[in-house]
Amino acid sequence: MSESARVQEFNRHVASGGKVEATDWMPEEYRRAVCRFVEMHANSELMGVLPEREWILRAPTLKRKLALSAKVQDEVGHAQLLYRVAEDLGKPRQAMLADLLAGRTKFHNVFHYPTESWADVGIIAWLVDAAAIVAQQALRESSYAPYARTMKKICWEESVHILHGRDVVLTMVNGTARQRALVQDALERWWGPLMQMHGPRTDPAKDRDLAWRIKNKDNETLRQEFLTVYVPRIREIGLEPPDPELRQDDTGRWRYTEPDWKELYAVVTGHGPRSAERLAFRRLHYAETQWVRDTIMAAPVAA
Amino acid sequence: MSAQALETPVRSALGGLLLAMADDEFVLGYWDSEWTGIAPVLEEDVAFASLAQDEIGHAQALYQLLADLEGGDPDELAYGRPPEGYRHARLLDHPRTDWAFSVARRFLYDTADAARLDALAASAYEPLAEVVAKMRREETYHLLHMHAWVERLATGGEEPRARLAAALERLWPDALCVLGGIDGDDLLAQAGVLAEPMAAVRRRWLAGLAPELARLDLPGPPDAHTGPCRGPGRTDDFRWLWEQFTMVRRSDPEAVW
Amino acid sequence: MSGQPMQVYEVFRREREGGPMQHAGNLLAPDPELARHYAREFYGRRQESVRLWIVPRSAILDLDDPDLLQPPFDRSFKKPAGYSTEIKAKLAEARSRAGTGKDGE
Repeated sequence: MSESARVQEFNRHVASGGKVEATDWMPEEYRRAVCRFVEMHANSELMGVLPEREWILRAPTLKRKLALSAKVQDEVGHAQLLYRVAEDLGKPRQAMLADLLAGRTKFHNVFHYPTESWADVGIIAWLVDAAAIVAQQALRESSYAPYARTMKKICWEESVHILHGRDVVLTMVNGTARQRALVQDALERWWGPLMQMHGPRTDPAKDRDLAWRIKNKDNETLRQEFLTVYVPRIREIGLEPPDPELRQDDTGRWRYTEPDWKELYAVVTGHGPRSAERLAFRRLHYAETQWVRDTIMAAPVAA
Repeated sequence: MSAQALETPVRSALGGLLLAMADDEFVLGYWDSEWTGIAPVLEEDVAFASLAQDEIGHAQALYQLLADLEGGDPDELAYGRPPEGYRHARLLDHPRTDWAFSVARRFLYDTADAARLDALAASAYEPLAEVVAKMRREETYHLLHMHAWVERLATGGEEPRARLAAALERLWPDALCVLGGIDGDDLLAQAGVLAEPMAAVRRRWLAGLAPELARLDLPGPPDAHTGPCRGPGRTDDFRWLWEQFTMVRRSDPEAVW
Repeated sequence: MSGQPMQVYEVFRREREGGPMQHAGNLLAPDPELARHYAREFYGRRQESVRLWIVPRSAILDLDDPDLLQPPFDRSFKKPAGYSTEIKAKLAEARSRAGTGKDGE
């Protein structure tokens, strides 16, 4: 079979729902596209640790400390799972970490922003994770089977994070006036990044990731799903997203103030409020622990 | 034996022991949780985070025992005292520092704690014996993991060896405090709450460690620790940690979180 | 310092007593001891498994040749579904003969 015929056969296979394993033949373009997609996802899980990590020391009760520690631990675990998937496609973990730390690869916008209070911890765990899960659930059907399987595990593990977040938010809205004010403030600061998180509307016909079914839903569909479930849940507890245009039209479609796509682009290319600081933080700690990696990769094998 | 059956001096000593143990676990759990997200290898990050969480879980159970004995509530006990009110061993006043330091500190703590738990496994005070039984099962993994790391650092080349040895040298005097600073431990031993006084537990711990330290040619303990084992006089590092873990509660003292 | 590369270990888990070992995922580790610890973390820290098998990927024998696993000639004689249609028709005929079919035919 000629190369181009093979590629066509492959395209037909994935377009009709067929799966691809790590050891299967695949077009170079597909391999690169999956690797890039998964790498960005892995980077996001790893960088996503940082905004919440500060609050691990500041959690105000034993139960919250356990819950937040477990949540952040899970994010690290998810980064591990995803780097493994990408590595099996041919890019070593060390190379991916080097590219991330050098600012050559991207991670999701939300992890470039500061956290200012315990209310942020609740809003992030509830709403940012919810927006992420909407995308992640769709990825369980990815044509690249190792990624699809990993997404099933990740979605299962994420479900408890959202409950933790919702519990933190509910406790605060039912609490003191100060607590309620902190939550509303956090919602107002996070709403913009949340609306940008799924990315701008794209033309499905031009989206290769969709054509190859690496992902199965386009950005706007994901955003609409998120709004449909979560706007009512936000409003029912007396909070209001800071967008006067936010409403459903007659067809049930959500209308909203157009997100600032220039801001999104600037942020994901490393110019967000905390981008530089967080990458520097990671570089510092990675460098400080290099001696440990060198050690265990040289140590005699234990029986 | 129930709480009511304990005579006042024994009961008071038991309260002191529970507070000391709970504070040890709580403070260690906090320091080690700092490694979450920045440990040397992703897989190890997840493992070390579990160890830290286990300590918080143990602290929670021990604060609950204390609350059952003396009143109050675990969160109030854990978060509601000024820095001078904490009774953790000196070993836990040190910050995370670097990987060798954290490994060394955990190794010393987990092995000392294992000896302490051994001495409490058959405690006449049943609620404590029950909690200790659960803790010992979880500590199995801690001991396996920390022995694995000490072995790897000690035999992994000049640099890791030197870092580990230096950390142990710094930490040994304060490590002796884990099995020290418990007022009335002889009363607790007489009452069967503890199998033997702390000095004897400490001897057993050190005897148990000696062969491994000799085999790996690592520094051993000094003869004694000078100064108070469990406060007063907390380090700036601990005060910083206290500021962190009480920050949210202090921001709104009436709030429920 | 010369390094030995981290190895990939595949992890299999049993979810509950009596269940099969199922592939759960994989991880990198420098040696078998830490591989076991990490397997426990990734596939057991939530008490979700009763047993784990941790196997270096290099130890796994892989077979995916379709000529061996999906050979083309009819093999319905090896599967229950190969009989169901025929038996259904013959049973109907036999019942009819014996007068034991529906409506007492």
